[in-house]
Amino acid sequence: MRLRTAAAGGAVLALALTLSACTKNTGQHDTAGNTRTSTGVIDTNPKDSLGPAAEVPDARKGGTFYVLKQAKISHLDPQRIYSFVGLMTAPLYSRSLTTWKDDGKGHLTLVGDLATTPGTDVNKDCKTWQFTIKDGLKFEDGTAITAKDIAYGIARSFDPDLTGGPTYLQEWLANTPQFDTAWHFTPKAAALPPGLTAPDDKTLRFEFKMPHCDLPFAASLPSSAPLEPDKDTGVNLDSQPLSSGPYRVTKNVPGVELDLERNQYWDPATDPVRHQYPDKFVFSFGPDRDAANNRMISDSGPDQSALAWDDVPSSLMARVVGDTNLHDQVLTSPTPSEARLSINVQRVTDLSVRQALNYAIDRSDLIKTLGGPTVASPVTTLMPPGTIGYQQYDAYPAGDTGDIAKAKQLLAGKTPELVLGSADDSVDLEIATQLKNNLEKAGFKITVKPIPEDSKLDETKEKNNPWDLYVDNWAADWPSGASILPPLFDGRKIQDSGNSDTSYVDDPAIDSEFDRVLALDPAKQGPEWAKLDQRIMKELAPAVPLYVDVRYELHGSKAGGLFIGSVFGYPAFTNAFVKA
Amino acid sequence: MLRFLVKRLLSAILVLLAVSVLSFLMFFALPRDPVTAMCPKNCDAQRLERVRQELGLSDPLYQQYVGYMKGIFVGRDLNSAQGGHCDAPCLGYSYVNSEPVTHTLTRVLPVTLSIVIPAAVLWFGLGVGLGMTSALRRGTLLDRLAIGFSLTGASLQLYFVGAVLLLVFSYTLHVVPVPHYTSILVDPLRWADGLVLAWVTLAFLFCAIYARLSRAQMVETLSEDFVRTARAKGLPRSTVYGRHALRAAITPLITIAGMDVGAALGGTVVTETTFGLQGLGRTAWDAVREGDLPTIMATVLIAAVFIVVANIVVDVLYAAIDPRVRLR
Amino acid sequence: MSLSNADDIALSEISATGPQPPLPKAGLVGRSPGQQAWARLRRDRVATVSGAVLILFVVVALAAPLIQRLYGVGPQQQFQDALDGLGMPLGYAGGITGGHWFGLEPGLGRDIFIRMVYGLRTSLVIAVAAAVITTLIGVAAGVLAGYLGGWVGAVIGWVTDFALAMPFLVVALALVPTVTLRFYGPRQAEPAVFRAGLLIVVFAVFGWTGAARLVRGQIVSLREREFVEAARASGVGLGHMLFRQLLPNTWAPILVSFSLAVPSYVTGEAVLSFLGIGIVDPTPDFGAMIYRSIDYLQTDPTYVFFPGVTIFLLVLAFNLFGDSLRDALDPKSSR
Repeated sequence: MRLRTAAAGGAVLALALTLSACTKNTGQHDTAGNTRTSTGVIDTNPKDSLGPAAEVPDARKGGTFYVLKQAKISHLDPQRIYSFVGLMTAPLYSRSLTTWKDDGKGHLTLVGDLATTPGTDVNKDCKTWQFTIKDGLKFEDGTAITAKDIAYGIARSFDPDLTGGPTYLQEWLANTPQFDTAWHFTPKAAALPPGLTAPDDKTLRFEFKMPHCDLPFAASLPSSAPLEPDKDTGVNLDSQPLSSGPYRVTKNVPGVELDLERNQYWDPATDPVRHQYPDKFVFSFGPDRDAANNRMISDSGPDQSALAWDDVPSSLMARVVGDTNLHDQVLTSPTPSEARLSINVQRVTDLSVRQALNYAIDRSDLIKTLGGPTVASPVTTLMPPGTIGYQQYDAYPAGDTGDIAKAKQLLAGKTPELVLGSADDSVDLEIATQLKNNLEKAGFKITVKPIPEDSKLDETKEKNNPWDLYVDNWAADWPSGASILPPLFDGRKIQDSGNSDTSYVDDPAIDSEFDRVLALDPAKQGPEWAKLDQRIMKELAPAVPLYVDVRYELHGSKAGGLFIGSVFGYPAFTNAFVKA
Repeated sequence: MLRFLVKRLLSAILVLLAVSVLSFLMFFALPRDPVTAMCPKNCDAQRLERVRQELGLSDPLYQQYVGYMKGIFVGRDLNSAQGGHCDAPCLGYSYVNSEPVTHTLTRVLPVTLSIVIPAAVLWFGLGVGLGMTSALRRGTLLDRLAIGFSLTGASLQLYFVGAVLLLVFSYTLHVVPVPHYTSILVDPLRWADGLVLAWVTLAFLFCAIYARLSRAQMVETLSEDFVRTARAKGLPRSTVYGRHALRAAITPLITIAGMDVGAALGGTVVTETTFGLQGLGRTAWDAVREGDLPTIMATVLIAAVFIVVANIVVDVLYAAIDPRVRLR
Repeated sequence: MSLSNADDIALSEISATGPQPPLPKAGLVGRSPGQQAWARLRRDRVATVSGAVLILFVVVALAAPLIQRLYGVGPQQQFQDALDGLGMPLGYAGGITGGHWFGLEPGLGRDIFIRMVYGLRTSLVIAVAAAVITTLIGVAAGVLAGYLGGWVGAVIGWVTDFALAMPFLVVALALVPTVTLRFYGPRQAEPAVFRAGLLIVVFAVFGWTGAARLVRGQIVSLREREFVEAARASGVGLGHMLFRQLLPNTWAPILVSFSLAVPSYVTGEAVLSFLGIGIVDPTPDFGAMIYRSIDYLQTDPTYVFFPGVTIFLLVLAFNLFGDSLRDALDPKSSR
């Protein structure tokens, strides 16, 4: 009978699955604690900006290093890079004015990269900054890199055709967010935007109308990479950027493969952070998270010298955490990317309700939903623990599992009806389901409203968005409170759309505190930001800090020198090598 | 015959036009705004509007549509944000991939063809083989096994079977490499190696309909007079089954195969996702998610062309194989 | 997605039941073809077993609230205390206990059994409704095109080609979230029914072509038969012609087509979930469950096992039943 054979087919499948299900899960996992705090400052000693970078123990030259990633790198053009993978890959083929010296353990200092120091604040007012360019810098074609090439690179980022990259330098120079109308860029021309000058080949000057003490940090982004005006190919630079770093792009099939090979004109003596260990880097795009990480577990062939860029999925985590053989292949660290439950204070005007939300939150169950401590780590502060000058505090102490009684007491019998906007992909909806069930225990009435995943970000950034709560993420461009608290809570920056202040906090007292701290020497700002963080949470409770993402990645057994970068929380390739 | 072809082609062109108009309109109804996606942080409304203009997305819809369609036949001049002049056949410039869409298509089309065509040969062969075997050995264990096997396949899901096969054969036993695409022109062995898992999975899942149909056809044909006559004439079994019986049974099979291949070429999103291959389906899918209008238009049109052409080919083949069919 | 045009061609092998003069009302000798088919179906063991399995599934789906009351656990209840730190169920085989027959979902810690019962309900409602609607549209379009022919037939044929050429998944991706947003206010929760209804509509828009082609083919071949010509000569109206003469002679392939369409929508709905545009959390849904569970193949095979085997049985039962139905209706094609 057909029936019997078909049933037999099913039975074989069933048996195979059942056999693998018969082990008891006692919950004993070895998940080593992983906390990291940064002790970072700007290092103005020119010696520290010199190369060559210290050798990595056991590193050797040679071999091909592979990187597996599902989605392509959206931009390779340094002036357009803003994705994490772009920011972490750019240092291989492009250098910027300043760069971070990072040991992956929290020792983080800003040093000069193309410049001899991380900039000189000429009049001590943060308005005029001067950089001296190092000797011996060359592009991949052997041409010397001058201050004019760096200035041209910055000028290029004014071009409205070349969107996507950071806009700090442009906005500060033009003194307006409409920088592309304030000054028009002409390709291959020598004209420079107002305030940017290159008086000679070795000097670059920024003159701002307003003080910008964070310039040395902003100059570490790849948008300050140099480009020879003659070599500017406009939008096509995205597929073939001109290298100034230790590697150059030798093959680029968008969405499939990116090959980087050694750039013979790169001089290690000029570079404080980069190495040139592998002969070649090959990025291969396409394999999804499951596939890439399963390949790392198999650890065979060329995959042995590969990194799976995408985190181990929570569905595979128990397998990886439980396998002691894999522990040498794990790369893990908490990141500076923090998720918070933003409370729209325009709608939820009652402070006690916002405080009750803070008391009610059960971070322990939320983290179980996400996949455990290897996926997320709870936080109670607005700034993530990696921030310079960070201080731990909990404005609404309720333990890991929340204090429902305290929340109910604050609500005093009220049952606030709140709408939680959530992206409609499966992970976000699970988080929303978790939050709803959690908060309803304290007496809230939560409606989960799915918003199409692709537009959720834009819609919550609209001032008059109709939701009370939504989960937001913030990953700063540099680990200073200056790039976290003012963007998130400065009420003067609120516009109709495109807001980062998605809680829509507008408090003049807080705003003037921002101005005061921003005018301080960056080295002294750290503790001040920490105090302000606490004050915002206590006085306004505009959000419920939830967790920071934990990076948990696998690499092959022969991939060496990898570490999780402290600034963006993604793997850094500057020390990478292939083991023998 | 000629009249039929002309009529069919005209109707096909109308279908393609309608598909292009509808997918164009659909794009503008999408919740995703491609411009905000391009300008992730620090972009206010005024700047967004300027980017939109650079990309030509703020022009009147009909103007954008006509511009796009014109580009396919005579080429068009795009501005510097879209890579400058674009020769015919111009499918536009993808502002998400930073390359002309024709480049994207020449890259991803071979992947989809390499998945579908060998898989189709395999599922056709496997299906017809199973069906014939069980027809000739009616009522035996072999018959039951063959039909049971094909029904099992038909009742399973691609992503399910794909995941299990990947886990067992690629990740655990290392019998087959993890699916990847290498051009057949570069290294035919690596090409086959990287796709075999996808072929086998597709064949297993798709062969059922062919097995069922060819079995039924064979059973019916075997009982017809001309087969009995042929057998009586003393023709060898193989000639009778192969030439006479199979020929009569094959017409509807060809029809299904044509339709299936057309549909598969246009929509292998699930296969490509399961096996991590970047083909036409996956590219169309990504384009919709990223709001990449030129790529959406191009992939949708190509898929529609496959389906429409498959339809015509099937009609013509039908007439060629079976002289009883007259095309009007 | 197997909204393939394959089935209709396979079905067209069941020839129209041919001329059927009005049957003797109370004949003692003859049995109607329908009665004959029913008898054949009842004798077919495959049909009996698969039919029984299908009835069981339907009963479970209908009785979901009752089962919940007896079982004592709801589909939204979370049991995260029974999960370890990584969110995986504690104990043996994915947390199977006397209280949780099929174990717990990793992460949210909901009961798999009760979610499957409710999920079956969602999936079956969507699949059956979609199959009914597509069959109705398909029959209407097929009959009109086949009987009237001419420009009506040409237009319907063209629309069929058009529906085939539109990329189903891309349209679904564009349509589902957009429409949802238009229909419900931004602060209104969208009822699960709405999303399900939307999926039914999406299936209906694309799925009717198979039935239409099938019916059209049948009608075209019937049109030239003597009994139809006789009716036409006697000057009966269009309604009589369609409902008394033509349709009664095509019901067999339509019925089979319907029984094969249902499983194709069950799996189609699962594919939409796989791509993230199907039924969304917290509504329990079979397709969504299977899609989510498949990632846990290595870490929680029990989670994969129950939904996986159930959908396999459901689709297999439908396929077997459809096959048997075809055999019963067309004795020529059977063994």
